[in-house]
Amino acid sequence: MSLAILDAREWQQTVDLRTGQPREASGPLVDMVAGLVGRRPYPGDRDATCNDWVADVALELVERYAPRFAFLSFSEQFYSLRHSPLTKAEEQARIDGAFAAVERFARESGFTVVVVGTGELVPAAVPVDLEGLDGLAVSSNWCAHYAGLYDASAADLEKLANHPAIAHVAAKADILSLFGGSQADGERLPEHMVAVKEGHYLKGTSLRRLYKIPQPSPVIPVSTKLGPVASLTDIRPALLKLLRTDKVALALVEGVGCRQFPLPYQTCANGRGWFAYEPGDGQFLAISKGQHSIFEHNGGYRYYQDDTDDKAYPYSGFFSEMPTGTIGEAIAERSIAVGNRSMFMHMLTGCDIACECFARNLYNQGVMAVIHRQDKYAGK
Amino acid sequence: MIRCDVCERRCPLGPDTYGYCRMYHAPRGQVEERFPDRWCAYATARMETIPFYHAWPGARCLVVGTAGCNFDCRYCANAEVVKVDPAGQQDVMLDVSPEDLVAVARKRGCRAIVFSVNEPTVSLPTLERVAAVAKTAGLVMGCLTNGYATPEGTARLGAILDCVNVSLKGLSPEFCRDYLGVPDVGPILRNIKDLARTTHVEVTTPVIEGINSHELGEMVDFLAGVGPDVPWHAFRLLPEYKMRQEDYPSVAAVGAQVEAAARGKLNYVYFHNFIGSRWVNTLCPGCGEAVIERHSLGCGGDRLQAVHLDGGACPRCGEAVALRGDIDPATAKEACS
Repeated sequence: MSLAILDAREWQQTVDLRTGQPREASGPLVDMVAGLVGRRPYPGDRDATCNDWVADVALELVERYAPRFAFLSFSEQFYSLRHSPLTKAEEQARIDGAFAAVERFARESGFTVVVVGTGELVPAAVPVDLEGLDGLAVSSNWCAHYAGLYDASAADLEKLANHPAIAHVAAKADILSLFGGSQADGERLPEHMVAVKEGHYLKGTSLRRLYKIPQPSPVIPVSTKLGPVASLTDIRPALLKLLRTDKVALALVEGVGCRQFPLPYQTCANGRGWFAYEPGDGQFLAISKGQHSIFEHNGGYRYYQDDTDDKAYPYSGFFSEMPTGTIGEAIAERSIAVGNRSMFMHMLTGCDIACECFARNLYNQGVMAVIHRQDKYAGK
Repeated sequence: MIRCDVCERRCPLGPDTYGYCRMYHAPRGQVEERFPDRWCAYATARMETIPFYHAWPGARCLVVGTAGCNFDCRYCANAEVVKVDPAGQQDVMLDVSPEDLVAVARKRGCRAIVFSVNEPTVSLPTLERVAAVAKTAGLVMGCLTNGYATPEGTARLGAILDCVNVSLKGLSPEFCRDYLGVPDVGPILRNIKDLARTTHVEVTTPVIEGINSHELGEMVDFLAGVGPDVPWHAFRLLPEYKMRQEDYPSVAAVGAQVEAAARGKLNYVYFHNFIGSRWVNTLCPGCGEAVIERHSLGCGGDRLQAVHLDGGACPRCGEAVALRGDIDPATAKEACS
């Protein structure tokens, strides 16, 4: 059973991750993790110390748990550039801060750190409203570029084909064909997926003004320590190979593309054909599993359909089942995940322990630590 | 120049005079909206997220909002939407007619439309038009409000809403002035009573330890006078906006104060707005059995987990549980299995 320790500052509740039911739990690992997250409250998604929180928690876990692999995300600059009106200098300071936190972790932990930029942010120039369609267009809060389309009429498709903001409309069959899926793989794909042009973004669910948005990049930067990788799905096997000789950390620096990447890098493909991942769950999962994840997670799925009272993993966002084949599962030695991406690090990485912020729509609720494996630890 | 009759600020309005909320003007000698049918966002959620715990449990709803507010709460959670000039927001607002909004709700399988991002009285005519179409479509209408409308405005809200969650934030004039930007709580207390006579009312109180926590007993006494079945949601304050640097209130301390204040006076008391709260289940007022279970994900993220009612009553002692509307069919099926 995976346990989740929910820390709301000076107050904790431990629950069964799958059911959400409270559990009385103790033991060397539970006590260690509970103490750690209790001592290290999350400062908030746009707080200047947010990325330092990731490094600090990861370093303490390195000291106390002695992992061989760490999956880290550094996302403060992603939130800040996206939702705050920053000057160029402020933007650069935020990005520099992220890389400084990564560098500090590398220096103090002794890990070989492979850094991946998840893609550049561009100015949010033109909002796109798809509400006038006969069918239903569904976009999500954190996905600005793609929408799912359901029950589209012929007039809808013609309108979208001539829409100045629309870059692409793909039918489900086209997506399945592009990624080599069978009909059975399409259950969570929308009937059509709509992609908007650069600088355009889909409106609807985001309360806050968007200043910058992810521009799904055909390629993303990967630090050269890893060796050659052609696609983001090649990162995983290369990491596993590197783990034979080194303690390794994968650091995903969010909202950063090739132009802002300060380290020696190579590029790898960030999708296939017309589809490129936005920073987020689908991209993380593709990296973690070493295979494309568009069938499981895409910006057009109607997640609200799964939001029923019997939904499993109630504290895991829109996940209703645990992904399989994640990188943490493939590593026999101890592994950790730490990040300021909420509610999915513990699902997508599969690492023994995951410490992540519990923030919803930038509202700072605290920290969630998930313990998937207790059997590798007897105390320290 | 005329006086606005929607909220108790009763601001002067003219062709270019917009009042405190900046959402109304009077170009033709009457109160008119400046930005009718303009929405900041909408999202699909469940009634528990508003929160409504005793109205259409588990029902999917379309959560909507506009811009602007008539309060100046120091801890406003949506300041980036409601504290900025609505005129400057129009480039990113959705222009959706009442008919199209109701159509969206229906396409998404929603049972209700709930206005909850900002204060609904700043867009009352738009809300009325949506409600008229929603009623024809058989949809429930709800809102979250600070309760500072005039009697006329409150009557208009009561006439169109099936459920209202009123925020009773504090009682003393000092608190109202310093933390909310209004002179006193009188209109809010009056409106809670008025609304409770015409529609389903739940009440929410964000608790700031040491600031309004000493008023909890008095608030409970007032609510008990309105009716012991009024569900009361005590919120652990989430420090935002001007209070972002403040400490989070202690869950243990505030929880104890809430419990002590409400014991034996109100039948349905909840303490939440933080992850993993243990105080989100509905307990039978007769025997204390947990008859509705929920998960708390903090700020606007509560979920229905299970319903154990037998025909609207406690299966153990038979005591009726106060609910407005039916339980979402999926939940009822789950409860029966």
